[in-house]
Amino acid sequence: MRVLGIDLGSREVKVIVLEEGEIVNKFKVSTMSFYRDYCTFSGKIVVDLDKLDIGETDVKISTGYGRNNTDLNEFEVINEVKAHAYGAIYQSGLENFILLDVGGQDVKAVQVEKGLITDIELNEKCAASCGRYLENMAKVLEVSLEELATYSTDPVDLNSTCAVFSESELIGKIAEGASIERLCAGVNYSMYRRLKPLLTGFKGHKLVISGGVAFNQAIIEYLAQDYEQVITLDHPQYNGAIGSCYYGQEISNK
Amino acid sequence: MEKVGITTTIPVEVLFAVGHQPQDLNNLFITADDYAQYIELAEKDGFPKSSCAWIKGMYGACLENNINRVVSVVEGDCSDTEALNEVLQAKGIKTYPFAYPYEHDLESVQAAIDDFRELFSVSLDEVEAMRNRLNQVRALASEIDRLTWQENKATGFENHLYQINCSDFKGDIDSYEEELKNKISEIKTREPINRELRLGYIGVPPMTADIYEHVTEFSAHIVYNEVQREFTFPRYEQADNIYQQYLDYTYPYDLEFRLKEIKKEVAKRDLDGIIHYTQAFCHREIEDIIIKDELELPTLTIRGDKSRQLDSRMKLRLEAFLDMLGDMRGVN
Repeated sequence: MRVLGIDLGSREVKVIVLEEGEIVNKFKVSTMSFYRDYCTFSGKIVVDLDKLDIGETDVKISTGYGRNNTDLNEFEVINEVKAHAYGAIYQSGLENFILLDVGGQDVKAVQVEKGLITDIELNEKCAASCGRYLENMAKVLEVSLEELATYSTDPVDLNSTCAVFSESELIGKIAEGASIERLCAGVNYSMYRRLKPLLTGFKGHKLVISGGVAFNQAIIEYLAQDYEQVITLDHPQYNGAIGSCYYGQEISNK
Repeated sequence: MEKVGITTTIPVEVLFAVGHQPQDLNNLFITADDYAQYIELAEKDGFPKSSCAWIKGMYGACLENNINRVVSVVEGDCSDTEALNEVLQAKGIKTYPFAYPYEHDLESVQAAIDDFRELFSVSLDEVEAMRNRLNQVRALASEIDRLTWQENKATGFENHLYQINCSDFKGDIDSYEEELKNKISEIKTREPINRELRLGYIGVPPMTADIYEHVTEFSAHIVYNEVQREFTFPRYEQADNIYQQYLDYTYPYDLEFRLKEIKKEVAKRDLDGIIHYTQAFCHREIEDIIIKDELELPTLTIRGDKSRQLDSRMKLRLEAFLDMLGDMRGVN
């Protein structure tokens, strides 16, 4: 059985094809380009699967932000939080964990117990605790995201709760002559501090990380101090699409 | 006939036998239009914000409804009730203690009930006669329970309501009996409710009784209300006397005893999942740790506080949980 899972994120659309439990195709398209170049609208959003070069699939599942945006013709839409929970269950092999998904423009913390969601915290439409914040701050510091992610020692103190004001605070620290290592660590640590309140209400010792922030070693290092085990998924940015495929394979098709 | 407030289920046989009219203060509080003002009144008088809404509501209900006598459960329920008892006394309300003994053996329960009986100068024979009378009415409430889980005709809310009222029989045994009989006749004429997921509700009765209706939006039906069912003494036929009957009552005793009964009902009622309701600031919140470990079924814990309505976050959590439970049970 070939299952297609599409996760329509705020910045990128993630596509996964699962065949007999194996990922056989995996790619990303910018959200803008996906709607503009690969979709037409006739009552419902119709995806040009030939143009995406996906081939025949038996089951098609979509997820993402906003039901209207993700209700694709010939697709079954599933809730985004559920897709991520299934993705993490499938990728980690765990049934009891806390999932932290930090995407480009939103953050989800999800408690999963006995394979079911039992609690959710969402922080939407605020740049200060999502991937966009790291991107902006990396630009201010003129370093790549990859380099930014490597520094965790002796962070400068960034107190602002707002992404915009944090920029000016950071510039102040640059002017004070702080080293690039400490500035980068400060950005990572301030992000960690904003994520932490989302997680405090959740019980458990295993934290699974998905979304682009899974690539940030510094933030993972900070989080690892709070949990017995921090698990980063093999395909963190594709977690929602993988969860959609898992749902299509295990549940929808039964 | 004088109204006597009660803080939870007590051997109400004693009060009825002496001619008093028991009034469950929880019910008086939660059904009042101005229930929130009862809480406010308690907080103005010094009850902490970080204390149980039920306790504060009972306090307000007592004062606002001119209840002059109250039976408080000072052992087997919670220490907040003990403190409530003290404050009510200080306010000039006559209080009578009742204790479900920690030992949980027949001898201790017998002593507790005899002490309580003597407070009101009622003979054991009178109490036993009243027990037999009340058990007839309790059997009707149990019939509504059966109509819920076995015939799928009574709703989760009806199951909650008609069983919970067995704490005080709404102060009037005959008229409550009549109400139950009429309800049973009406329920029996219905077609079975066709919902896919069968849920159990465990823990103290909810502040947020809209939960029963809300879950139906996700094709779920609450067919077991743990504590409410205990209020009807569903195993009364196995008891030869009032001591045995109140010994075989799970709510005030240890968790292991409660869980044994819950597990039996989970299997009997063929449940798919459990909602464990806890009240904010209640010691029973801590028991959730053990409950989740002990029950094999997926369990969602909902923590209520002051509001009678589920908030949007609780609704979101319920939706996600029931959505995935439906996937798991293959019903979506």
